Amino acid sequence: MEASRRDFINIALGGMGALGALGAIYPILKTLAPSAASTTEAKVEIDIDSVPELNVRVTSWKGKPLFVLKLPPDLSQRYDYKVRKDLKNSAGKLNQELLGDKPVFALIGVCTHLGCIPLWKPEGSDAVKAPYLHCPCHGGLYTPWGDNIGGPPPRPLFVPPQKIEGNKLIVGEPGFVEQLV
Amino acid sequence: MLRRIVDWIDERTHARDLYREQMIDYKVPKNLTFPYVFGVLALITFVIQIVSGIILIMYYKPVMAHAFDSVNYTIMKEISFGWLFRHIHAAGANFFLAIVYLHMFTGIYYNAYKKPRELVWMVGWVIYFTLLTTALTGYLLPWGQLSYWGTVVTTEIPASLADAPILKSIFAAIGETISIWMKGGYKLEDLALGRFFGLHVLLLPLVLLALVSVHLFLVRAAGISNPEGYEIDKKNEPEKLAPFHPYVTLKEGAVAMGYLALFFFFVFFNMSHFLPADNFEPADPLKTPPHIAPEWYLLGFYEVFRSIPSKFWGFVAFNLILILLLLLPFLDFSPFKSARRRPLFFIMFLVFLFSSMILTILGTMAPTPTNAQLGMFFTFLVFLFFLSLPVISFLEWGWYKARGGRS
Amino acid sequence: MNVWSAVKTVMFTGATLLFFFVIWIYNPFSPHEEYELPEEAEQIINDPKFAAEGRELFKQNCASCHSLRYDGIYLASVAAKPEWSKVEKTQGKPILEEKDGKLVVRGYFVPRDVYEAVAVQDLESLKATFGKVPPDLSTYYLARGPGYLYQFILDPGRVLPGTSMPKLFMPEYDKEATRKVAKIVAYMRSVSEPPPGEKAKRTLMGMVTIGYFLVMGVLIWIYRKRLLSKMGY
Repeated sequence: MEASRRDFINIALGGMGALGALGAIYPILKTLAPSAASTTEAKVEIDIDSVPELNVRVTSWKGKPLFVLKLPPDLSQRYDYKVRKDLKNSAGKLNQELLGDKPVFALIGVCTHLGCIPLWKPEGSDAVKAPYLHCPCHGGLYTPWGDNIGGPPPRPLFVPPQKIEGNKLIVGEPGFVEQLV
Repeated sequence: MLRRIVDWIDERTHARDLYREQMIDYKVPKNLTFPYVFGVLALITFVIQIVSGIILIMYYKPVMAHAFDSVNYTIMKEISFGWLFRHIHAAGANFFLAIVYLHMFTGIYYNAYKKPRELVWMVGWVIYFTLLTTALTGYLLPWGQLSYWGTVVTTEIPASLADAPILKSIFAAIGETISIWMKGGYKLEDLALGRFFGLHVLLLPLVLLALVSVHLFLVRAAGISNPEGYEIDKKNEPEKLAPFHPYVTLKEGAVAMGYLALFFFFVFFNMSHFLPADNFEPADPLKTPPHIAPEWYLLGFYEVFRSIPSKFWGFVAFNLILILLLLLPFLDFSPFKSARRRPLFFIMFLVFLFSSMILTILGTMAPTPTNAQLGMFFTFLVFLFFLSLPVISFLEWGWYKARGGRS
Repeated sequence: MNVWSAVKTVMFTGATLLFFFVIWIYNPFSPHEEYELPEEAEQIINDPKFAAEGRELFKQNCASCHSLRYDGIYLASVAAKPEWSKVEKTQGKPILEEKDGKLVVRGYFVPRDVYEAVAVQDLESLKATFGKVPPDLSTYYLARGPGYLYQFILDPGRVLPGTSMPKLFMPEYDKEATRKVAKIVAYMRSVSEPPPGEKAKRTLMGMVTIGYFLVMGVLIWIYRKRLLSKMGY
């Protein structure tokens, strides 16, 4: 009797102590949790008509720069980008396969080399006689769909989950791109 | 497995020896009364303030344009459980001072300021003074009406030196200089808020940490006082002693749990005094609230200050009380220790205790002439307590000698 | 413990408890102003479902002079400025509410200095008209209390003689006047106090916390008693 009563109180104290520690830590951790307002960052809606053709609209998604591009439908036929076909996105494909036929789409505007923000060159340049994306930091070159043409970047630009609903492009929800690739 | 880890640490730190020496071999008298727990409760409240303060400082903004909103919008409404930590910190400040007052009065009652504990008392006094400064600097931070105007009143008090009967211009200059330096200018603005923030959040807590460590070291060095007033000898009366752990540690642990239950009752269900309504109005430098007074822990001093017609002598009076408190070990030089064995001291202690409480309550009341008369009467009684100490000591030395040098 | 010990304990404990009761819980000596709240008004104010209507009434009747930034309400003349919605989106933080299970943006919290900079002309002209800028009312439910607010809005000059706030609600002409004022106060309450669901959660949290400490205290006490008797103390 004596032993089991004493053990009970040991266990009770130990258990209560652990409960207390958890109860104290829980609110402290919760104050660190992302606020409700930051959940609005997870979804961005862009009006398709508001983006002029052959133009990039820069906005932000989950804290990163977002490029929304509207390209003329025959762009891929008009120009021959010397795409680095060996560099694929996370789904093991080229971005163009995913985005080539879409009237409007979004890319994460962060160079996959060291994180600078690429510049949109719709007129092309001496080096690339076509619209392309050029990263000024170390010379990374991308097609308008984000595939690699040249320079140090190891993979195409990231493509966020997105879908087209009516005349809105919704970034952050799965659609023609289901997850980040 | 746990034992193996503890062994590994013990080989490198000798922690087990330290534990045995400080917890088991260290013996404490068994007749310590309940008030002896206030020191540990103060320490616990200190830890609560630091932890809750760490959470608050992540979101508080020490800039006039944002301070009030960072507290009342970001912390109270936006951050999960932000309201809980603000409540804890506000209630904790009040509890900290209440416990420290109870702890001080306990020390005075049992004469724990006498040899060999004079340093313990004096370091404790510095802690008390630093704590009051910490509370004052913290109170400005929410930048409400009471925060702002309470600080204006406080920083204007040194200016009352200008009321001096002699050397007026010198005192006025000193008073104004102190007042301007406290604020960093003529008005309470971003400079003042910034420096109060830096003091409250970093310098003063570090100073308190250092002082409390010294205080605890001195307590252990001198040994814990005894309610009976004589030091118990380990060799002569071993039956009156018990090992620190578990006799004291678990007793204080259980009382601490009750204290925390009471504390959290206020945190969840009764914050109206600790978060006064008027402070939910943002600070307006052009409008003074109808009732402006310091917080309760300074009201006793405030009542002394405002009851005396001359601002200069009011200023002198309340500072004198603080100084007399510091000099207690030297004012009371009687060979006897503890109010239990000193009937005259016991009576004067009651006078002091009740006068302090009544002065504080008078401070909450409107400043009428009757209030000032009562204030002056009880101020007189407080000074009577301090002045009676050497007189009583003198008498008791006589009795001590007459008894052949025995307590 | 002898009689004298017991007397001392009771005296000191009693005096301490009485002192802190007066200082912290209820002080019968310090000046208190009571503002009467008629029962019907009190019922409306305590009912959270009137808050939505109160918000509309606030925007119609009060927002010409008062902002309430914690719920995204700004001076009507400022909110109407073409650049205001840009200011809200770039400088403000969204205030979210749950509608049909989704989180929607109800308004924006714009920091005080940004708002006062954009609104500087409007605020100055209010100051010229009224003598001072009508205050932002976000925390006024807590600062003044329901009784004061109800009486003040119904008749500002009676509660605060010399105030420049006009009387906007005339119970003599509008049967709904007192109810409208109560609904506005109900709305102000909803900004300062958590919704009843959250309030209930906090009450439960409090009771669990207090209960926990009481139980822990008893457990430690029993454990100590057993340990000491085993050690022979």
